[in-house]
Amino acid sequence: MPEDVLELVNTYQLSTFTTKVCQYAASTKEEWEEQCKLWPTSFHPPTYNIDGITGFSEDDSLSVFNFMKLAVRMAKSGGSVVNAAVIVDPSTRQVIASSHDEILSCGSQRNSTCREPCFSKQPQATNEYDSSKIEKDPMLLMKCPPNEAKQSYKDVACLHPWGWLEQPSHLSSDSWHPLRHAAIVAIENSAARDRCLFPVNAQDSEFAQEAHNMSSPTGSPLKRQKVKDDERMDCQKNGLRCDSSRPYLCTGYDIYFVWEPCIMCAMAVVHQRIRRVFYAFPNPNDGALGSVHRLQGERSLNHHYAVFRVLLPEDILKSEALEKPFQD
Amino acid sequence: MASFVEETVPETETVAYMKLALEQAKLALDSLEVPVGCVIIEDQRVISSGRNRTTETRNATRHAEMEAIDVLLEQWKKDGLPREEVALKFSKCTLYVTCEPCIMCAAALSIIGIKEVYYGCANDKFGGCGSILSLHTNSSGKLMMSGGISRKEEFKCTGGIMASEAINLLRSFYEQGNPNAPKPHRTPMPRA
Ligand SMILES: [Zn+2]
Ligand SMILES: [Zn+2]
Repeated sequence: MPEDVLELVNTYQLSTFTTKVCQYAASTKEEWEEQCKLWPTSFHPPTYNIDGITGFSEDDSLSVFNFMKLAVRMAKSGGSVVNAAVIVDPSTRQVIASSHDEILSCGSQRNSTCREPCFSKQPQATNEYDSSKIEKDPMLLMKCPPNEAKQSYKDVACLHPWGWLEQPSHLSSDSWHPLRHAAIVAIENSAARDRCLFPVNAQDSEFAQEAHNMSSPTGSPLKRQKVKDDERMDCQKNGLRCDSSRPYLCTGYDIYFVWEPCIMCAMAVVHQRIRRVFYAFPNPNDGALGSVHRLQGERSLNHHYAVFRVLLPEDILKSEALEKPFQD
Repeated sequence: MASFVEETVPETETVAYMKLALEQAKLALDSLEVPVGCVIIEDQRVISSGRNRTTETRNATRHAEMEAIDVLLEQWKKDGLPREEVALKFSKCTLYVTCEPCIMCAAALSIIGIKEVYYGCANDKFGGCGSILSLHTNSSGKLMMSGGISRKEEFKCTGGIMASEAINLLRSFYEQGNPNAPKPHRTPMPRA
């Protein structure tokens, strides 16, 4: 036995035994499930299996491009330009959640998902988002005067994470929060959607049952179950289905950013288990996916996503960004 | 608080605050959450506390630190404090957290401009205060921007306060099984 292992054994008075385990890490989910019958392991899907690593089909590229354009459209908040994040289920091409920065004011939300408690009104139409709408919208085609082209995008939270300290105070009625970057809010929205669509899931109730059988002295599993049941009632009232087959967090989902996320947002996206990250414009100030840090390359993390930069024609941002250059 | 009454060895302030953070972590454990807890201190007063709520919220970003920060922001906004004053208050706050802040939380603490952080055990997988990245110092990242007004905020960071207590809580959580982990997890093999 290696010395450091022996030390652990002694420290924690472990009793050792010999058992059979797999020699190689599982490369598929099926292999992993088999493997766990011998000995429980954790599964890290190999990144080279991620769709898109070896290229995109024309159909997929179009879809990626359209979701990115949706993010660019969302990047306009009131009169200013901010970062936006759109979480997408690529298997159904459905928007799961979306948001833009809410650093300065949540009140100026154009998007009603901000304070929406339940997602029954989440526009299902967004999954049929039609790119031709962008071209048809006359506002978006407005060309910007050249002297206004040099925007510093000072309201883009991921570009200026410390910017909240320097902004002049708004009216006291204004809502603001230094950490509500687009990704943080989008993740919050996706979690709210998940709680609403899937109020009870097999894992939860199974575990609650288990804990109950162990007669936990706190009784909290029961309380927890009660809360779940209440949530389920709420959702049933809203006519939503209760399905136990749902992804764990955002496993398998994509996220689209207009700007490369800052390190806080990039790590938030790791925590929420996003599979692929797309961004349009690099973030030289605090970009965490290549510009300043390269989080996707940190080996110690328990989850890794693939990162893609979507090259948008520059005039898309200009027409989007300068549609309303000043406060109205 | 009982520990204050029967203490035989005078404990330092740091240990006393970390005990409060550990109590928050225990609350998390009772709620089947990964047991990490924290408190925020201003002028030797506990002004906020938080614990991990990732399972309950299904939002993996709801770490103890984020919870505790949100409590303060809500309170100070209710009190009508302008942003400058909120920033000033954060710059006088000290955080005690049972586990090294992750990369996300370390970045958040820097963004709000916290003064100081004490943590229990190191976070070998996600640690943002030395283990994986060092976001509490100015060594990484660019300071100067076009316009030159943005800055990075440093905070002092000390680890290893009651680390074994923090680890023991985490261990007891993983021994009972993480309800939030993907299936299958550690269940004893059924025997026919
Ligand atoms: Zn960010
Ligand atoms: Zn954290």
